[in-house]
Amino acid sequence: MSKLKTQEFMVNMGPHHPSTHGVCRLMLTLDGEKVVKIVPVIGYLHRAIEKICENRTYAQCIPLLDRFEYVTSMSCEYVFADAVEKLAAIEVPERAQYLRVIMLELNRIASHLIFFGTTVMDIGALTPFLYGLRERELIMDLFEMTCGQRLTYNYITIGGVSHDIPPEFIPKCREAVKIIREKLKDYEGLFNENPIWLARTKNIGVLSAETAVAYGVSGPILRASGIKYDIRKNEPYGIYDRFDFNIPTYTHGDAYDRYMVRLDEIRESLKIITQALDGLPEGDIRKKVNPFTFKPPAGEIYNRIENSRGEMGVYLVSDGTTKPTRLKLRGGSYNHLQVLPHVAVGGLVADLVAIFATFDIIMPEVDR
Amino acid sequence: MTRDELKEYIAGHFEGRLKPLESGRYALLYEVSAADLTEIAQALRDDSKLNLNFLCNIAAIDASDHFEAVYSVASLTGNHRLDFKVILPHDNPEIESTQEIWPAANWYEREMWELYGINILKHDNLTRFLLPDEWNQGHPMRKDWDAPDFVRFPELER
Repeated sequence: MSKLKTQEFMVNMGPHHPSTHGVCRLMLTLDGEKVVKIVPVIGYLHRAIEKICENRTYAQCIPLLDRFEYVTSMSCEYVFADAVEKLAAIEVPERAQYLRVIMLELNRIASHLIFFGTTVMDIGALTPFLYGLRERELIMDLFEMTCGQRLTYNYITIGGVSHDIPPEFIPKCREAVKIIREKLKDYEGLFNENPIWLARTKNIGVLSAETAVAYGVSGPILRASGIKYDIRKNEPYGIYDRFDFNIPTYTHGDAYDRYMVRLDEIRESLKIITQALDGLPEGDIRKKVNPFTFKPPAGEIYNRIENSRGEMGVYLVSDGTTKPTRLKLRGGSYNHLQVLPHVAVGGLVADLVAIFATFDIIMPEVDR
Repeated sequence: MTRDELKEYIAGHFEGRLKPLESGRYALLYEVSAADLTEIAQALRDDSKLNLNFLCNIAAIDASDHFEAVYSVASLTGNHRLDFKVILPHDNPEIESTQEIWPAANWYEREMWELYGINILKHDNLTRFLLPDEWNQGHPMRKDWDAPDFVRFPELER
């Protein structure tokens, strides 16, 4: 039999592919099952948040920013409010600082639980998705009892937080911490030594430390590649320097390590929440700022925090009026999607799904 | 490096080519001339004490009479960070790409080109990605861009 002629062909993965977590389109060039080239196409979720914010007052920006990265809305609110407070030199009351940390860390856990659920679902284990969401529900209940919202909170405002926690929050929160800590053992029991899981993630999508740094990769993915860098420790913001926690770091930079880093981070966040609940002082929850007439002095600032998906930052320019002149949003996924082709080319399509899932890319953060 | 050490080091090693600006009161903010950009960027990254190897962000700003491009860079080894700004004319703004120095710059520059109309020299892939491919209504992030109530998408009207 004469040799069969083969040729490369193109396939669109997305925009509505279930494992692209939103509306990301990857134009794949395939040689059989092997990925030869990846071109990410973005912009399907572009809502022009940056442009709209230029025509809104500072207080009106916050509900919009909730939609910037809707899995961890608290971080989006915090990074903006913190930037404005630094520009205007506003002192945030102690109690509000602690409440912010509690909410940020709860939100980080909720985000990592979503990561856990969707990643294992993409790779083929359907049930643990429900486990992840079940535990996340405990956190959503806490948010709902505090500010009435479950996804887009509008909670962290300029000068403090919008609502104080109700009296039943603290016992419920402690209980949630206890339950999540217990359930983490179940997750690890299901996956850490599971031969199918290991075959799908070990040595898949290795991201070297050099490539990671060059492409601005941050957060858990950077730490999975062996670089111990966490803005909460290296450039502490808010009151993070008061808490005792570790930065989980792994060395291989493969899909398995990226998964392990996040599970370890949940544990560290639980530690921070417990410490913050213990140290929560009484007092005011916000400094009064008139949302209609608030004018920070002219100036500019790049403010960044450690989000569950890496570095989240805003570049804020104020000209001394009630509206920001420029608000540039920076999300971790933007860089992670950019580096994806360098990691996934040469692997199989099935591995691409595992890599995309463990990168934990969500599209609102890329498109803005 | 602490903020003051960094300030002193920059003042000593980059005599006048990084001009400190007042408007950035929080982090250190400098001004770099457009002609110097790649040279300075290379020096900032390769200097063994600075080692600013991590590009956080590039933000373009329309200041009505001129454009600005602000580069925020950090060092993952030295725990310090600074911003520097390039001022570009409003007519025919051009800037050289820094993707050879920080590969992460590629997409940020592409976005700057697309939304602000700042031309990037020596960039390897200047194609649309946030706006539709057939977009011909200018650069929406510019201040003089009149936001229409209704934006036409030709492919939906066919």
